[in-house]
Amino acid sequence: MNHQEKIIISGMEDGTRIETRVLEERIRKAVERGYLNIEVQAFGQHGIGGRLWNTGGKPVQVSIHGYPGQRIGSMGSPGTYIEVHESASDDVGWLNAGATIVVHGDATNGVANAMAQGKIYVAGDIGARGMTMTKSNPRFDPPQLWVLGGVGDSFAEFMAGGIAVVCGLGSHYRGNILGHRPCVGMVGGKIFFRGTQKNFSEKDAKLVRIGDGDWEWLTRNIREFLEAIDRSDLFDILTSERSAWQLLVSLEPHERNGTKRMPMDRFRSEVWETELGRGGLIGDLLTIDRSPVPVITTGELRRFVPEWQNNKYLSPCQAYCPTGIPVQKRWDLIRKGEVDRAIDLALEYTPFPATVCGYLCPNLCMDHCTRGEVFLPSVDITVLGKASVEAHDPTPLPPTGRKIAVIGGGPAGLSVAWQLWMSGHEPVVYDRSKKLGGKIASVIPHSRIPKEVFAHEIERISEKVTQVHMAEDLTEETFRDIRDAHDFTVIAVGAQTARELRAKGHEHTVSALEFLQLAKADAIQVGRQVVVIGAGNVGCDIATEAHRLGAQDITLIDIQEPASFGKERAAAEEIGAKFLWPVFTKAITAQGVELASGEILPADLVVVSIGDKPDLSFLPLSIDVKDGFVRVDERYQTSDSKVFAMGDSVRPGLITDAIGAGRKVARTIDALLKGTEETFDQLGVIDTRTVRLEYYNPRDERPTDIQACSFQCASCGGCRDCGLCEALCPQQAISRRDLQQGGYEYVVDSGLCIGCGFCSGACPCGIWELRENDPLE
Amino acid sequence: MESVGKIHPSTLSAKDLHWHILWDKDKCTLCGRCTAVCPLRAIELGVHQKREITVKLGLMEKPGNVYSVYHGIDQVTEPAHACIGCGMCTQVCPNSAIYPVLNEEIDKLRYHTNSGGEPRRRGGRRNDAGSLLDRIKFIRISMLTDPALDAGRHEFELRTLLGRILPPEEMIEASRGNSWMPPVREIYPLIIGAMSFGALSPNMWEGLQMGVAYLNEEIGMPVRISTGEGGCPPRLLRSRFLKYVILQIASGYFGWDEIIHALPEMKEDPCAIEIKYGQGAKPGDGGLLMWYKVNKLIAAIRGVPEGVSLPSPPTHQTKYSIEESVAKMIQSMYMAWGFRVPVYPKISATTTSLAVLNNLARNPYAAALAIDGEDGGTGAAYNVSMNHMGHPIASNIRDAYLNLVKIGKQNEIPVFAGGGVGKNGNLAANAAALIMLGASGIQIGKYIMQAAAGCVGSETDRCNICNIGRCPKGITSQDPRLYRRLNPEDVAQRVVDVFLSFDSELKKILAPLGRSTSLPIGMSDAIGIDDYHAARRLQIKHVV
Repeated sequence: MNHQEKIIISGMEDGTRIETRVLEERIRKAVERGYLNIEVQAFGQHGIGGRLWNTGGKPVQVSIHGYPGQRIGSMGSPGTYIEVHESASDDVGWLNAGATIVVHGDATNGVANAMAQGKIYVAGDIGARGMTMTKSNPRFDPPQLWVLGGVGDSFAEFMAGGIAVVCGLGSHYRGNILGHRPCVGMVGGKIFFRGTQKNFSEKDAKLVRIGDGDWEWLTRNIREFLEAIDRSDLFDILTSERSAWQLLVSLEPHERNGTKRMPMDRFRSEVWETELGRGGLIGDLLTIDRSPVPVITTGELRRFVPEWQNNKYLSPCQAYCPTGIPVQKRWDLIRKGEVDRAIDLALEYTPFPATVCGYLCPNLCMDHCTRGEVFLPSVDITVLGKASVEAHDPTPLPPTGRKIAVIGGGPAGLSVAWQLWMSGHEPVVYDRSKKLGGKIASVIPHSRIPKEVFAHEIERISEKVTQVHMAEDLTEETFRDIRDAHDFTVIAVGAQTARELRAKGHEHTVSALEFLQLAKADAIQVGRQVVVIGAGNVGCDIATEAHRLGAQDITLIDIQEPASFGKERAAAEEIGAKFLWPVFTKAITAQGVELASGEILPADLVVVSIGDKPDLSFLPLSIDVKDGFVRVDERYQTSDSKVFAMGDSVRPGLITDAIGAGRKVARTIDALLKGTEETFDQLGVIDTRTVRLEYYNPRDERPTDIQACSFQCASCGGCRDCGLCEALCPQQAISRRDLQQGGYEYVVDSGLCIGCGFCSGACPCGIWELRENDPLE
Repeated sequence: MESVGKIHPSTLSAKDLHWHILWDKDKCTLCGRCTAVCPLRAIELGVHQKREITVKLGLMEKPGNVYSVYHGIDQVTEPAHACIGCGMCTQVCPNSAIYPVLNEEIDKLRYHTNSGGEPRRRGGRRNDAGSLLDRIKFIRISMLTDPALDAGRHEFELRTLLGRILPPEEMIEASRGNSWMPPVREIYPLIIGAMSFGALSPNMWEGLQMGVAYLNEEIGMPVRISTGEGGCPPRLLRSRFLKYVILQIASGYFGWDEIIHALPEMKEDPCAIEIKYGQGAKPGDGGLLMWYKVNKLIAAIRGVPEGVSLPSPPTHQTKYSIEESVAKMIQSMYMAWGFRVPVYPKISATTTSLAVLNNLARNPYAAALAIDGEDGGTGAAYNVSMNHMGHPIASNIRDAYLNLVKIGKQNEIPVFAGGGVGKNGNLAANAAALIMLGASGIQIGKYIMQAAAGCVGSETDRCNICNIGRCPKGITSQDPRLYRRLNPEDVAQRVVDVFLSFDSELKKILAPLGRSTSLPIGMSDAIGIDDYHAARRLQIKHVV
């Protein structure tokens, strides 16, 4: 069979249109029979010219006349050459896999959709969505679409390969030869075009210069296109001017990430601040820097600032010592080897550091020792107290010539006198007794305080103060004389009058004071059985003294749970004294004490120890009295501004209370005399939660050696110079610096510190305080 | 020391707190960053003793004790310093040695956050992760029935109208110049809702504004932002960027004299005026900017002296009825700009929303109604207001829309929805759901704080300390040490990212509906929910 012989296959048979399926079968059969030149008279049949792979490798021509339907040449095979002599409907060359399709008129939508190989030549315009989803398979040449005119909207959407050439000649599309929004989703291929385009997707494609290679390809292939559509006459027009052509290619993947938006920093400087002014939104309102900072900052940008608050707070021992002795400072001196200074320091606060701290005081400092909070033994101050008998006298300030009368030579009066002496004033102590010392000297049993210790300390002060022994009891008149003769007068007469027991037969009793004075002088017979009414600490002293004097059966009674505690109570219990409470005394007889219950406690001696009150009969009316005590303000000043009163004449208290009050009165008087501001004890007590006790051995026992004691002290609020902060600071911002005037300090380099507060968390003594930084504006 | 010390009723252990700090001794290098960064000093360096009892095998020697000391990071348990779980410690730790974890048990802290008789106040959110909006599905997907659109390819007109749309016959009259034409703005449907200058840090506020300006001028998205109540910086008032701004006026009227003074110098009209009557997060609760937050800057912008507390009362003082509120306020605000700027009220979602809406519908000047639901956020409110007061937005917005449909005005007065949109991160889905329920646009606050500035707040009571000025991200603090952590440019960039990605996501939802030329406002046939009662209540499909 002559394969050049043309076969005509009509889509119409007997006046009736044949189905696509039948036409398709006939065309395939013709090819099978060897026809390679087929003319089809189309009547809207679908997909004409596709799938003609059964030619034995020979090229086949399909010439279409009439009215072809959609998808001409769809799934076209290599070697198939389709010519459409009129215009074509939608989807010409759909999924073309190698056919060459020539359309001599226009083509509607979807030309070359999903084309993978082959060529499509269109002699007119095409509709929307041409060259969409086209691909380029590396095994084959890329597909080509040539359009003499222009293309409709959404051209080259998702184009993934191939070459499109849009010549822009004779197009119905005016002014926008590529249609609306071409190249959306384009990832591959090239689009040559001639004429103007408006809005290709810049997210996907870019315009590039047509290089020599591209131009050579275009001019070579355009000839073939023009020949196919019989318009070789246009060759010169289309190729005379290279600059009339443009080339769109898809963006490379790396170009897609960096979309071509203005970077925000440029927007800020070129748009934002240009409109608003330098500094942006609030540049006119704010002068402070608002530039970014890191999360961890130093210097003034730190949120928290550590401060070395050495000695800015009182340790609890000092704060709760009524005398106000800086206990932890003394231990600190000992730790530093300055034992003498530690011992001497006490005399600045009390004339009786050994007598009181070492023996008579219940040691409130130890009760409040921070170590006690975790059951560690408190640091034993009595060791240091006892050692203080060796203290060297302080040097008083130059004499001022001011005289202050101190009425009463007990601990209160002597404390005032001692402090006034140190301040350079001249205290004059008036007392009914020849011996100074008040109740310590006359009442407190020797068992509680070794004679030589007290003697030494009373000797020390006796040398320094003027004493006036009063032969007579003080009267209002003598008091007034004393008052008028001195700059100030301090009433420190103590409480010398026993409170009376409101029970029948009190004439059969002895008062506590009387008993203790007589006992101390060994001038009383106690018999076998002794009953003490009032079981406080004085009662306990009575019990132990009675035992010393031979009593065997000693009973202390009280109307409530006895208030006695500490050493006195322990001593009384040790000698076997019995405590009875709550019991009420009905009467005292020669036989003993009759209780309200009817029971009789037999007694050879009954001592009443229910407290003392001051004898204030000498006071003029100008000095107010309240509830039997002198009324004073917080500085112990009475209603007469020249007169102070303190000690037991103001309110009953411990010896250390009296000594502390003495210091306060002396400081007040000194300030009044010198016209200065009295600045007594203004520091607050440290929050003991800042003191770290984890650094101490929980199995520590209370040592008797002064050095060992000093190392047990947690040094609350006072730096112990351990260097932990320096070692621990993660920024190495903390360093120790010697001060010119002696001593040292720890300092923070704010340029290094980040305000973590580790120094504060770790400091054994609670010195480092982390505070919020000052506001920046 | 704590363990042997005295306890009082509010003495808590770490076990009683809402957040636990887990610290790994082996990994920790004691660098100090975690304690330096902790907003509340909830952690500190602690000193610990370790005890080892030494026993020789065979018991031939007397057993002994060896003590040693180590340092570690301790959690502070006092209520005022209770960990808020912000995780800044984790962020700065070089070794991942520390992080907060949520207590599995209900904490005891909540019983002790009322020291001195003052109930707990906080910022943030409602602490309820539940979201009805998250459960709404888009069930109408156009397959072969409609020309399916492609979100990636097709151009979408994602715009909404803010302003009163006249009925056709009135519109014609107005366009002939025979009557007043209400101003209408064509804007992006996602609006950055009211967050005041003061509640937000200067860097945060500027970042949001800059991002909005960028979206408008570089991307072409007409995004708008409300100032919140707290005035507006004078420079912004006098800039062209003002047209992107919705100025809010609320019961404190802060900063409004500065706005009035700026009127003659304004280059542009603002987008709109929002009259705030309520806030969804804390209906019935006013605002209070504490004196220590009122620094020089805030004072200048609000037009008040420095260092005074600034209360915004729960109500406006001179308005006693809906009629008066609507008529008086709307008229006044229209007058300020010569009737060229739309004015609308914003209310908390409430069962009484319809009364307000009906009133607005009768007032030709009412440009819109914004309704803020209970899931909205706030810088400061009473815990009880935040957790227990308010109305969910979905049903309230639905009622409002259906009511407009009933009176035939659904195309005339737009309703804007806010409050918990995107509370679990599903911004576009939540927004689309509300639009299909009937909202013309969406206001967001918390979402933008999280996405644009890294707010770490969550519904598990994480962080939520906006009210005390210690925001670890610098979002709600007036302390430069904190707010300088935030670079306005970075915030702006994130705002841009958020809107662009929202736009893509919204298109992904709208494209399958075949909608591209107008928002599917009220297109409730497209949504469904798996809860029968919710479906009935919202008049949407029940899908199972």
